[in-house]
Amino acid sequence: MGPALPLGLAYLAFFVAPLLMLVAVSFYADDKLTVLGFDNWRKFLFDSFHWKVVTDTLLLGLKAVCATVLLGLPLALVWRGASPFWQRVLLFVAVMPLLTSVVVRTFAWIVILGREGVVNQLVLGLGLAAEPLRLLQTELGLVISLTQIEMPLLLLPLLSVMARFDPNLLDASASLGASPWRTLFKVVLPLVAPGLAAGALLVFASATTAFISQSVIGGGRLVYLPSLVWQQAMINANWPFAAVVAIVLLVSVSAVIAVIALAGRIAGGRVHGAAA
Amino acid sequence: MPAPAATFRGHTLDVDALTVRYGGFTALDAVSLSVAAGEIVALLGPSGCGKTTLLRTVAGFITQASGRVSIDGAGIDDLPANRRRVGIVFQNYALFPHMSVADNVAYGLHARGEKGPKAAARVAELLEMVQLGALAQRRPAQLSGGQQQRVALARALAIEPSILLLDEPFAALDRSLRLDMQMEIKRLQRQLGLTAILVTHDQDEAMSVADRIAVMRRGHIDQLGTPVEVYDHPATPFVAGFIGTTNRLPCTTTADGVALQAGATLALAHTLPPGSRAMLTVRPEQLALASEAAPDAWPVELGLAVPLGGQTVREVRCTDGTALRLTEPRRGAIRELGATAHCRLAPGANPTLFPHTEE
Amino acid sequence: MTLMSRRAALLGAAALGCAGLTRPAFAAGSVTAAIYPGAWEEAFREHVAPVLKRQHQIDLEMQGLFAVDQVAKFAASRGAPPFDCFVLDPGPRITAIDRGQFERIDINKLANKAQIPAGMADEWGVATGAQVVGIAYNPKKLPRPTGWDDLLKDPWVSKLGLTGFGTTFGTVSLIELAKVFGGSETNVEPVFTEVKKVLGKVAAVGTPAAMPGLFQQGQCDIMYTNTQTVTTLKDRGVDIEFVAPKTGAVSFITTLHIAKGSTNIDNAYKYIDAAISAPVQKALSEAPYFFVPVNRGVALGAGLPMRSLDEMSRFVTHDWAKINPLRAGWIDRFNREMAK
Repeated sequence: MGPALPLGLAYLAFFVAPLLMLVAVSFYADDKLTVLGFDNWRKFLFDSFHWKVVTDTLLLGLKAVCATVLLGLPLALVWRGASPFWQRVLLFVAVMPLLTSVVVRTFAWIVILGREGVVNQLVLGLGLAAEPLRLLQTELGLVISLTQIEMPLLLLPLLSVMARFDPNLLDASASLGASPWRTLFKVVLPLVAPGLAAGALLVFASATTAFISQSVIGGGRLVYLPSLVWQQAMINANWPFAAVVAIVLLVSVSAVIAVIALAGRIAGGRVHGAAA
Repeated sequence: MPAPAATFRGHTLDVDALTVRYGGFTALDAVSLSVAAGEIVALLGPSGCGKTTLLRTVAGFITQASGRVSIDGAGIDDLPANRRRVGIVFQNYALFPHMSVADNVAYGLHARGEKGPKAAARVAELLEMVQLGALAQRRPAQLSGGQQQRVALARALAIEPSILLLDEPFAALDRSLRLDMQMEIKRLQRQLGLTAILVTHDQDEAMSVADRIAVMRRGHIDQLGTPVEVYDHPATPFVAGFIGTTNRLPCTTTADGVALQAGATLALAHTLPPGSRAMLTVRPEQLALASEAAPDAWPVELGLAVPLGGQTVREVRCTDGTALRLTEPRRGAIRELGATAHCRLAPGANPTLFPHTEE
Repeated sequence: MTLMSRRAALLGAAALGCAGLTRPAFAAGSVTAAIYPGAWEEAFREHVAPVLKRQHQIDLEMQGLFAVDQVAKFAASRGAPPFDCFVLDPGPRITAIDRGQFERIDINKLANKAQIPAGMADEWGVATGAQVVGIAYNPKKLPRPTGWDDLLKDPWVSKLGLTGFGTTFGTVSLIELAKVFGGSETNVEPVFTEVKKVLGKVAAVGTPAAMPGLFQQGQCDIMYTNTQTVTTLKDRGVDIEFVAPKTGAVSFITTLHIAKGSTNIDNAYKYIDAAISAPVQKALSEAPYFFVPVNRGVALGAGLPMRSLDEMSRFVTHDWAKINPLRAGWIDRFNREMAK
């Protein structure tokens, strides 16, 4: 009871109130915030370009989730089987991106993915291509860098579930004649699904809103909702329209997150068998 | 209990000079063990003795440094765990928490491609066998410990294993339930003709379930024998101490017996040179109390008495400070705490004499 | 109060006490200036604040605010300005004038009045820095371009780094490009038509902040930018040269203004005077800032396409009163035309 009230008030003041203001601003028709109206909502909703930006943003998040899961799950499995020493080393390597600033990480990817970057020097040096590959300013390059940048967000919840995973279950499965692949799909994946869902959720939320990575690595030809918000708020000074885009970003990302969380809860519910 | 449709022809298991190392630590040191068809052997010993390592190596979870494991004479060392057909019941049962009881039991059948009504019938039959037919659709978390263990047993038996491995299967059960489950497993094993290995640190469990007991210590088998053999004729002081309750009486050998440090001379056939230090191990039921002094009786001070079933277990202290435990009939004369009495070997007692060691 | 927070409070009080002690008794007060976050804030903290303090005993308090935020924050304050001075680029400057956010300035009150070149001060404000915009290219990889339209021709186009209307320098560059193809300050349609033809060849379409990094990494070898970026990159050893296009380099100024209703006007004048004084302007024109100075008394750096500041009056300038209403549409158009 004691700390609940001040905490609740702080939550209201610092989280709910700005959100309500954001909603209120979105219902102004002019950038001086004097006339109320649905103009900016209409402008957003009845324009297929804006819907393409919404779709591209959500797809970017899903691609980042797929890539982090495809790379992170094997890494988590290796981690689970590793000795305590190697577990610490792997954890450190996995979490390292969190210890550097997002700007540094992002600019490091320019150095790696650029025309004269590490990847292209390797590809040209090995004779795999005659021309440098175009990686920067492409969605592929953006997804590659987001995969590294967001990986800790997937791994941390996943590893915490992995750490609690009973290794006897793997032995039990093997002793019952199951191949390693069968064990992976029938035992491991269903049981780590809640951790995987939690991680995927964080990666999705972070990748769809990664303004710096999206604009620096993705460049001007890939338009996502966060850069639209920035343009409208900071360059055009059209706050009502920026508020509309921000709310669309919030709602669409939350909707996908709700679906991922639901999937994780269903998997988790099956594991803990609350309902007969 | 309905008879199971599948019959388990007994299979033999041979472990030959098996050595397992973890880094610099030798967990198993050239251990050999043969288990006959339909036999159940208990691996008994304190934690770290290598019993679980032996079990896991047979199952294929651990690769040995050297030595061989064969089933029915054929080596299985090159087979991965999932192709050994060795059933295991884990200490924590390791049931798949996200699957129903029926799906747990069906897991091994599905893994080898058996599906449809035939597999379902087999699952139903196994669940009947362990008396869980009514709980087939429950989740493991909704079952009691004993029920979970039955599921684990049914799941292991579903694949018709040639060898059944039981890894401390009763450790997590209530004491009252433990005996029931021990009886049930033993009955099933007999009925099905299963060859089984039971890993335990509980000597009573080993005694009540196993045909033979391998007492292990530090990666070795100290003694392999029937429960009666290891109880009555322990091969080493460690076995004597680990199995049952044992009194240790320091003594010196004479030509035709031993002179106890506690102050008595006993006639005893032995092969040790006269005058050497030795240790006489005596079971509590092999000692008796007497009122009168005699050459083969030594004075003791009476300690606490605890009624235990049909008998009373009493503690006494010898004049040299050695504490002893002995059993006496409940209806014997009630003696007072602190009173002095005399202790002697019971008629027909066959204590074991070990040369003195520094252990 | 917990022990920790009490300790924190005591430390805080002690710090305040010390600050009070070091403040001279004859302090003439303070002035609050809005400033762009980042390099501008650093530069002013390092070079303007000490001068104000030393010469006038005025404490400079800075609020890191982008142009849009300055205009919006002022609008929200309703009569009690949150700061005494603005710093604005030409576009937001026009918006703020339209909304009546400035006090008029009397140039005669500035000691450095005589040093201000033509066109760098008016009734609303005084320039504190200029930008000269043109083409930057890597001379080791490309021949020297001569005009804006070279950007869209071989061999330059395949090494071109484009940015949109998001910055002042980007906007004026694209307007100049449009002019070559028959466009004007209010008609950038030719840019979209012409760029679209070669879009497949263009090396990079980047965000303005990413362009120096992309150039340094060789992702693009030619771009439009300001002399400040060129000098900064050159200073880091990057092969880069500035070219004034044959239609003329573009210039625009960043200006300081006094907020309407400021109660601190005398100090605001002193702040502006300090910011445009020769020693401060000289410091800002050197590493790591490389601002183009607005004081005749400061020698011009080698990388600039003019020998004196007065030559800048011949550079191309733009009327932001006309550009402002159109710019949001151009930005939107750029998003759509360039989007993959």
